[in-house]
Amino acid sequence: MNALSYLPSLPPAASPLLLFGLLLLSGFVGGEVAHRLLRLPRITGYVLVGIALGASGLGVIDRELARESQIFVDIALGLILFELGRRLDFDWLRRDRWFAATAVAECVLSFGCIYFALLYLDVSPLYSAVAAAIGVSTSPAVVMMVAQELRAEGQVTERAFNLVAINSVVAFILATVLLSWLHHEHRAGWVTVVSHPLYLLAGSVLLGYLLSWAAILCARWLGKREERQTVMLLALILVGVGGAAALKLSVILAMLAFGVMVKNMDEKYDLMVVDSGRVGQIFFVVLFVVTGATLQVDHLVTGWAVAGAYILARFVGKSAAVLGLAYFSGVRSGNPGMLAIALTPMSGIAIVMVYGTTGLYPEFGAGLAAIVLPAVLVLELVGPLAVQFALRKAGEAGEEAA
Amino acid sequence: MSDDATEFAPSAACSMGVELELQILNSRDHNLARDAADLLGLLEKTPHPGAVKPEITESMIEINSSIHHQYGPLAEELRRIRDVVSAAAARMNLRIAGGGSHPFHKWNDRRIYPTARFRHILEVYGYLAKQFTIFGQHVHIGVPSGDEAFYLTHILSRFVPHFIALSASSPFQQGEDTAYQSSRLNTVSAFPLSGQVPFVHSWSEFLDYFNRMRGFGIVESMKDFYWDIRPKPEFGTVEVRVFDTPLTVDRAALLAAYVQSLARYILSERPLAPSRDVYALYNYNRFQACRYGIAGVVVDAYTQRHVPIKEDILDTLRVIQSHAGELGAGGALRRLAEELEAGRTDATWLREAHRSGGSLNDVARMQSELWMGKVLVS
Repeated sequence: MNALSYLPSLPPAASPLLLFGLLLLSGFVGGEVAHRLLRLPRITGYVLVGIALGASGLGVIDRELARESQIFVDIALGLILFELGRRLDFDWLRRDRWFAATAVAECVLSFGCIYFALLYLDVSPLYSAVAAAIGVSTSPAVVMMVAQELRAEGQVTERAFNLVAINSVVAFILATVLLSWLHHEHRAGWVTVVSHPLYLLAGSVLLGYLLSWAAILCARWLGKREERQTVMLLALILVGVGGAAALKLSVILAMLAFGVMVKNMDEKYDLMVVDSGRVGQIFFVVLFVVTGATLQVDHLVTGWAVAGAYILARFVGKSAAVLGLAYFSGVRSGNPGMLAIALTPMSGIAIVMVYGTTGLYPEFGAGLAAIVLPAVLVLELVGPLAVQFALRKAGEAGEEAA
Repeated sequence: MSDDATEFAPSAACSMGVELELQILNSRDHNLARDAADLLGLLEKTPHPGAVKPEITESMIEINSSIHHQYGPLAEELRRIRDVVSAAAARMNLRIAGGGSHPFHKWNDRRIYPTARFRHILEVYGYLAKQFTIFGQHVHIGVPSGDEAFYLTHILSRFVPHFIALSASSPFQQGEDTAYQSSRLNTVSAFPLSGQVPFVHSWSEFLDYFNRMRGFGIVESMKDFYWDIRPKPEFGTVEVRVFDTPLTVDRAALLAAYVQSLARYILSERPLAPSRDVYALYNYNRFQACRYGIAGVVVDAYTQRHVPIKEDILDTLRVIQSHAGELGAGGALRRLAEELEAGRTDATWLREAHRSGGSLNDVARMQSELWMGKVLVS
């Protein structure tokens, strides 16, 4: 036995915990620097740190590390999507049909515009359709975190949350349904073509439903005690994220379903509205660092034309819907434009959706990534600024802590 | 603005109008929202009776009735304004609630509604301006002259504990049970120009006082006095400002009918002479009403007797019965008496809501459900 065997081997083995801590620390520093020196949203700082550490920069976060950090990404997305789901208010959509119409139009037009723009650029229909489906979604994480950072509150903020919740659901369902086409194209058997999307959709929704019941029953038993309910919900969120991954379901859809159903099934108001954001904060930082790390700047160099068309078509589609129906909404003049701008960001969910197909058909995934990810890179950096600008300009930012 | 106090515009005796300050809540956790500007914008596009105005912070909205002579039409108009405002709020996913205070909002989250006057108030009073996010009902009673206005003000001052106890609906503040029935008035008392009118008996005597105060540079207009009851010369009214906004418009109309009938009794029978003793006892009696509501015990300045507020109100209701009848408010005051005898007040309703709901979020939610009524269900 070596006299010095208590010493670690060199270099020390990286543990997931150490990885998490380092990602958090570097992202945190980047965020503060961006915020204090450059007056940028902190998220932009996290992403820049990610890009600098990732494949396009120093290469510290390689594919292996990115995979190991997937669990943190999933937890962050789970927290965000649950919170977002709780913001989706069917009562509101029922009371304000014009708002409901805006939500539908926004999804239809952004899908349509991207789809036809890509077709025009000679992208094949299947790639165009999946890329367009992904483009329907706005990044919930960016919108929610910037709103939280600004302490924003008001019609533009609330409407943005609801539209983002809806377009995330729609984007995910569209992408899932398009899986059939993808399987068909790749000569998968009929059973796969039909059952895979069904399994994903029904399974994820069922998981969300079970979690919702569990949450409501637990809350009824606990009573109105905020700290207890917070712990209980966090536990269920973790079970949900882990469960969805284990069952090869969609974490995104399951957690969205959990949030939406828990809000809309809680008829006796047993659940309190707890702030999961404070706990989530540390996971969100890591989320943005990792998403930044996966983005490749050289893709943008080769794919700038497609990226430009994608971004422009998406913006046109979303703005046309929001501005076209603005007159009928209850928003002050000028603010519908701000709402349209607030729908700009794309981020982690888009990346997860792109890589969701990679596992099945790597070649298709690579092609899709080349189309979508350059645009995501741009919107990941521009998005937080856009949301910050929109919410400030709409007069909905609270008095900020320095 | 500066010369509004020089003329008292006469108006029909015992005409009345009501102003109600209301809470704008979000529908998620029922905290106060900040959407007054958008809500007012939408209401501009919607035809409605009366008027809707901004208030000091973005979480408040004020509704005004038009001028009325009878309880029935007033109540009807208030219901219609409530429905329009509730429907507009529901379209924006907001909630409207009555009640003198929001049970758990934090005052430092509030933002001042951006007008020059409100910004000025923030500059002068600092944090008090944001703490002023409390919700009151003002009842205007028409009087034919400025002299009459002062007579009515001095006599109504004796009945201020009634108004406080009958409307008390602010037991919770900033997330705590205050132990008060109306905690709202404690916030008003912090303002240096709150309190009572000077002991003057004619409009000309008051003008001397007003001009002196203006000479000192303390006030510019009547609006700078935050008195519990104050003459409003440009309307030709006496304005009673001690009511918490009740939990329903129906209760608001009942309270207006009570003041109106009482004013008719006072102006036509002249039952009492203005007394300095009323003001000597004023803060004690006011505290009793705020702290204990209808269970409080006040000292009657005219008889030196200690009387439970509940008994005093029931006695008064009997005395003014015939005047209420003349004004078409007999039924309304009978209802008020019944609720009083049963001990039903808004403050007890709110505490019961807290017990049954389990959290102050539930209280705020139930407050808004009660106020908005059928608009929320449809």
